[in-house]
Amino acid sequence: MRLKAFREGEAILFTLPALVPLLVFWFGPLGYIVYLSFTEWDFMSPEKLFVGLENYTYLLTHADFYQALKVTLLFGFGTVIPIIVGGLALALLMNSKLRSTGLFRAMMFSPWVTPTVAVSIAWSWIFEPDVGLANLLLGWIGISPVGWLQDSTWALVAVMIVTVWKSIGWSMVFYLVALRNLPQDLMEAAAIDGANAWDKFRGITLPLISPTTLFLSIILTIQSLQAYDQINVMTQGGPAGSTRTLLYMYYQSAFESFNVGEASAIAVIIILICVLLSGLSFLLSRRLVHYS
Amino acid sequence: MNITDSRKVEQERELGRGNKRERSGKIVPVGEQIGRMIRYVVLVVVSLAMAFPFYWMVTSGLKTNDEIWRFPPTFWPESINWSNYADAWNSAPFARYMFNSIFVAVCICVIQVVNASMMAYALTHMKFRLKGPFTAMVLLGYMIPTTAVYLPSYMILNELHLLDSYAGLIISNSVSVFSIFLLRQAFMQVSHELVEAGQLDGASHFRILWTIMSPLIRSSFAVMILITFIEQYNNYFWPMLITKDPDLRLVSAGLRGFFVEGGAYGLAWPQIMAASAFTIAPLLVLFAFAQKTIMQSVNMSAGVNKN
Repeated sequence: MRLKAFREGEAILFTLPALVPLLVFWFGPLGYIVYLSFTEWDFMSPEKLFVGLENYTYLLTHADFYQALKVTLLFGFGTVIPIIVGGLALALLMNSKLRSTGLFRAMMFSPWVTPTVAVSIAWSWIFEPDVGLANLLLGWIGISPVGWLQDSTWALVAVMIVTVWKSIGWSMVFYLVALRNLPQDLMEAAAIDGANAWDKFRGITLPLISPTTLFLSIILTIQSLQAYDQINVMTQGGPAGSTRTLLYMYYQSAFESFNVGEASAIAVIIILICVLLSGLSFLLSRRLVHYS
Repeated sequence: MNITDSRKVEQERELGRGNKRERSGKIVPVGEQIGRMIRYVVLVVVSLAMAFPFYWMVTSGLKTNDEIWRFPPTFWPESINWSNYADAWNSAPFARYMFNSIFVAVCICVIQVVNASMMAYALTHMKFRLKGPFTAMVLLGYMIPTTAVYLPSYMILNELHLLDSYAGLIISNSVSVFSIFLLRQAFMQVSHELVEAGQLDGASHFRILWTIMSPLIRSSFAVMILITFIEQYNNYFWPMLITKDPDLRLVSAGLRGFFVEGGAYGLAWPQIMAASAFTIAPLLVLFAFAQKTIMQSVNMSAGVNKN
């Protein structure tokens, strides 16, 4: 009996060095922020005022919130889908019988390793409206220059381009691994049965790599909900709120207007969206994802 | 599964093992050759496009202020001005910023090696009642957008009097769900018989973990350390929030400060690009040397959804 208690204690002891910071900086704050979202506070006043659902009703009746929600959704779809589809396309391109693809792979993966702040600064220069490279390229294909980061329709597109550029090589490597694990004999059998490349892709490749697709879509969605660095460097949410995602709105109301209650309510909504989407993907995965 | 099996699994994780079977000297039909040519061309174009922003950063940093504002832009600088790099390096304490980033990242790596492996070992090779809930918690941690809880974390750090300190920067980042997860995957592939054998010899769990198990999952440690280092070196949002003291700025926050001030002083773009280039340089060098290990992280984290 004593031995058993000792074993329990020893195991708990092993988990503590990770468990304590995990509770203090992850799960503790998670509970705390739900409480804060029912209060009103400005970092200064001695007491936090309990206001019930007021922060939520305020948000849900103001256009700013819906604007940020719209930007968040646009940014989410506009980055997750290109990263997944593009990554898969690149992986298919590279998976064929080509020699020395190592260098290409490294070149495409490298943006993922570099600091977002530094590359966003470089991209800001590329998107410079008067002398930037982006407008030069548009000029080559006969499109008149746009204002990019200073234009409320194009700023979000610019931020999305940088985000996709940064992660597309990363998702490509995921797909390369998945493609290499495909059973070769199945492919050959299909070929003998007269299946063409498209049939094989639809019927075999796509279902067999669906676990990777599911994993990527969850991780990338969570990442897109958390995007901050590139927005902060390139547009700071502007112009006219056109790149202000929910997360950026949360940051601004917490650390620029010191509105702790409202900020917390936004954060709770972000977390709920995350939970909802993750749950949805799991449900979806039961029907669509093929685990071998 | 025994040790040799788990070794084999780790070896098989290496990227690039796939295509080798195709390298025999078969005669390739003309149609297929053309197809290959087209694929090559597409790959070359895409790779160059992906790497182009880096090239642009480095060469823009070499131009004069006059040249950089010319349209259409020059693709190779007319005169090479390395002095821009020196100017940028000297106009803000970049050496200090880089030291901060590297120092903080290394400390975090060391702590995470210890706490993540102990946690992962407990979750895989020790028996205790809370094992299930703890595992679920780690998995759940993967789904939580950490950025969303920065506000309460900030308030907690404030209560602990750890704002504006190296200790705060290090401790608040001292745990990573990814690291725990990655090591858990690795430990699951090591036979439990080894633990039992160790215990028969009278070794404690602590000894078994560090002298028997750890050497077996070296490659997972390498991946974990590299990814953690990269993440922490690049970290911007959280460190910026919890430090006001300019001496404690990490390199991204320092660079961003320089960028904003450069804007105020009449857009010194060549210097800004130069500064971005030398901020990125250490990582690209690291990547060049540890490419395979870094890309292996993908193989390992891809296992997340299989359990």
